[in-house]
Amino acid sequence: MLVWSKPWRIATWAVAVPLFLIIYGLPIGVIVLASFSGQWNDILPSNMTLVHYSKAFRSDSFDALKASLLTGVIASGAALVCGTWAALALRNFKTMPKRVLDLLFFIPSAVPSVSVGLALLVAFSQPPFLLNGTTWIVLIAHFVLISAFTYGNVTAGLARIPVDCEQVAESLGARPFYRLRRVTLPLLLPYLVAAFSLSFALSMGELGATVMIYPPGWVTLPVRIFALSDRGAIFDAATMATILGVGTLIVLAILSKVSNRAAVR
Amino acid sequence: MAEAAIAAAPAPRLRVDSLWIAPPLLILAVLFFYPLGLIVRASFGEDAPSLATFEQVLMSSRFLDGLYHTIVIAVSATAGCLVLGFILSLIIAFVPFPGAKMAGRLIDTVIALPTFLVTLAFTFIYGSAGLLNETLMHVFSLDLPPIDFLYSQWGVILAEMTVYTPFIMRPLLATFSTIDQAQIEVASSLGARPLRIVRQIILPASLPALVAGGSLCLLLTVNEFGIVLFIGAKDVITLPLLIYSKAIQEFDYTTACVIAVVNVVLSLGLYSLYRLAIAHFGGRRAGLV
Amino acid sequence: MSQVTVMERTPHIAKPFVASAAPAASDGSRIGFENVSVTYGALTVLHSFTLTVNPGEIVALIGPSGSGKTTALRAVAGFVRPSGGRILIGDRDVTHLAPYDRKIGMVVQNYALFPHMRVEENVAFGLRAHGAAEDVIKKRVPECLAMVGMSTYAKRYPRELSGGQQQRVAIARALAPKPQVLLLDEPLSALDAQIRRSMLDELAKLHRDLPNLTVLYVTHDQSEALTLANHIGIMRDGKLKAFGGSQSLFRHPPNRFAAEFLGRANLLPVTDVQPLDEQMAKVRFGDVTLSARNHHGLARGSDCLVCVRPHDFRFSRASEPNSISGTVLSVQWQGDVHNITFDAGGETVRMTSAPMANPPRIGEIIAVHFDAAEVTLVPEDASHG
Repeated sequence: MLVWSKPWRIATWAVAVPLFLIIYGLPIGVIVLASFSGQWNDILPSNMTLVHYSKAFRSDSFDALKASLLTGVIASGAALVCGTWAALALRNFKTMPKRVLDLLFFIPSAVPSVSVGLALLVAFSQPPFLLNGTTWIVLIAHFVLISAFTYGNVTAGLARIPVDCEQVAESLGARPFYRLRRVTLPLLLPYLVAAFSLSFALSMGELGATVMIYPPGWVTLPVRIFALSDRGAIFDAATMATILGVGTLIVLAILSKVSNRAAVR
Repeated sequence: MAEAAIAAAPAPRLRVDSLWIAPPLLILAVLFFYPLGLIVRASFGEDAPSLATFEQVLMSSRFLDGLYHTIVIAVSATAGCLVLGFILSLIIAFVPFPGAKMAGRLIDTVIALPTFLVTLAFTFIYGSAGLLNETLMHVFSLDLPPIDFLYSQWGVILAEMTVYTPFIMRPLLATFSTIDQAQIEVASSLGARPLRIVRQIILPASLPALVAGGSLCLLLTVNEFGIVLFIGAKDVITLPLLIYSKAIQEFDYTTACVIAVVNVVLSLGLYSLYRLAIAHFGGRRAGLV
Repeated sequence: MSQVTVMERTPHIAKPFVASAAPAASDGSRIGFENVSVTYGALTVLHSFTLTVNPGEIVALIGPSGSGKTTALRAVAGFVRPSGGRILIGDRDVTHLAPYDRKIGMVVQNYALFPHMRVEENVAFGLRAHGAAEDVIKKRVPECLAMVGMSTYAKRYPRELSGGQQQRVAIARALAPKPQVLLLDEPLSALDAQIRRSMLDELAKLHRDLPNLTVLYVTHDQSEALTLANHIGIMRDGKLKAFGGSQSLFRHPPNRFAAEFLGRANLLPVTDVQPLDEQMAKVRFGDVTLSARNHHGLARGSDCLVCVRPHDFRFSRASEPNSISGTVLSVQWQGDVHNITFDAGGETVRMTSAPMANPPRIGEIIAVHFDAAEVTLVPEDASHG
């Protein structure tokens, strides 16, 4: 408690709460509101309608939703395996080599997504890897962009799981793979779920690299939202944005429940 | 001391174990470092490597303009995030109001959502036919929308502030939760006023979080693409947007690669700054671990 | 005792560890350190450490934190790699063996139970890791849980148990694969005082039931060491400063550090050792002559310390031999004892006595004496300080 006198406290709240609502509540509110509006020529929209939603679950928009979900799940899954593998393998290293390798795995998070997109476009439009125009290149871009975050999350998790448990397991005769399967990975489970959640959210919102490389048959939600808003269909864009946001949050909520259950057990 | 140092991890054993790092490293090399290397090579021109394209691009007014906008936007947005984030975190942590927990959860939500959603929302709020302008036109019977900052760099800065303030608040709130409440109570009982407590106790304690969060914010704002693309203001071109328009709209890959190299170098520099900040203050103290 | 007969009647249970090891020789469970050194960069935490724990013995390593005692234990477990020397378990040189090949049981301070497994799965872990058959596991797990009195908790998760219960499970888990060597790393220090005392009794009982089990016990608590151990090693700065049978180490500490660390002895500086016979010697303390055991055979004329435990002092009625006098500095009543400190020739001396109706007052001059057979001359430790 920093402000003790009641009037001052109320004054602080009177400024803070509306500020908070304007900065974070209002944007979310208007997008959701817009997604239901038929017309918005006045202060508030008129003609509340569900027509944008019925459109969203048809044709192009629905394809975009599917593409985004698939991309998110596949890229996050791959990044999870790769990041966990890397984080586990890096435990065999000490000091300098460890620091260098750690940095290598983190660097993709520092490079701007548009540049990653451009680099993949340049690299995979020429032999030996001709992937331009395929779904693969989108998956690769998402994988590269989120891999550092999964790696970071799993590494942080590894640093927090009790070392004693692993050592006692070893002293009881558990060989490395047995220990990994029966002790390390179960202890790591909450962090793996958290890593997957973060990657999934990042992948769902990825725009910079995707917009550089997406093939016509694999339009993700953010690209679709941009296309809609670019040609002035902002209510449809708002609807897709609402679906994207709500969908992401639902998946995150489910995963966090899974993770909590794993942590409690 | 020594006994604590031992408890790091199972003792490394066979050197063969270190080969396990090869598969993920190989994947990273093929999917990330190889493409990155190719844009560096491409930026030196198609045939004989030369710095000619480099010079040409770096001297062009479009590039310099983009660089200028990138830096101005990133620095202003980061400064804004630091101030706003500090104030909001202070209130949430030390003047808890009903619903402060909800606010904290809202912040986590914002971090998980794509950045361009805010821009979309801003169109509805601050756009020429948006909530604010319509309201003002009604109230003051105006014919033209009075507020027109969204399609300028101020719109971008405001949008980035909204999106990236949570990245400052998260480490700050973590730091604040480690400040001993008794310390503040003792200071209050000794007659220190809130501002003095903030200046002498809270601010010094939160410096690591501010530096680390600030440098992360700077990195993210330099690399921000979605917000700038969605606002689509003609005269607000940042480096990522320039790369996009060169490559996708003008098919000028060499120029795009040169700019990308500059952008990557800039980002890696900022990233080093971020890592140094964490290393210097220690991840735990910066509230990031 | 009943436990041993159970195991002898069902020899196949011992399979996990017997499978690959040589048949258990009588000294198959000896732990040997031979000049073991451990370094971290420039820091040496164990200096050429040599120690043997004989089969069926409990040896306690005690010492202040940072003395290297935990490092020594972890070197046996295989989590610390020595930079020099050898570690033997029985006749096997295990210095370069992975922890999972060493066939040891280990119990650590914070129990380290696997939080995601039920109690019975925790106990079964070692057996499963060794590929024991399901029917062996089904038999052995209840046996081990019964051994530590935790049979009714088999289906619980560790977080549903108290600290003492968790430590029992940890012990059962360590013993389930029938290791010949048990390493206990501060096993009781996370428990509160009352539970610690009862756990100490149970550990002693457990060892009576498993007399062939060799135990290396690391603790900073001297009373745990004195209660449990046959031999005690006192460590400091990565070196073994003293080693001996628990009783003799307590009664005849070989140096100042051992005397102070084990039982907080009074060490009075004395001069001019005059051996009387094989056992006893006369020394001078200020202007009084005292006699004490010359257990370490100190040379005639040398200076040394006389080690007197606080409870060895008695109030003197008349001028008795081995009597010193001093001014009372403090008197403290602790229920069952009186703690008194007094100043004798510039030395602050502590004594305890049975509660008195009229204890001496501060500033009063008292005379006390001790039995010469109970106190020992200790060489002044040159390396001290």
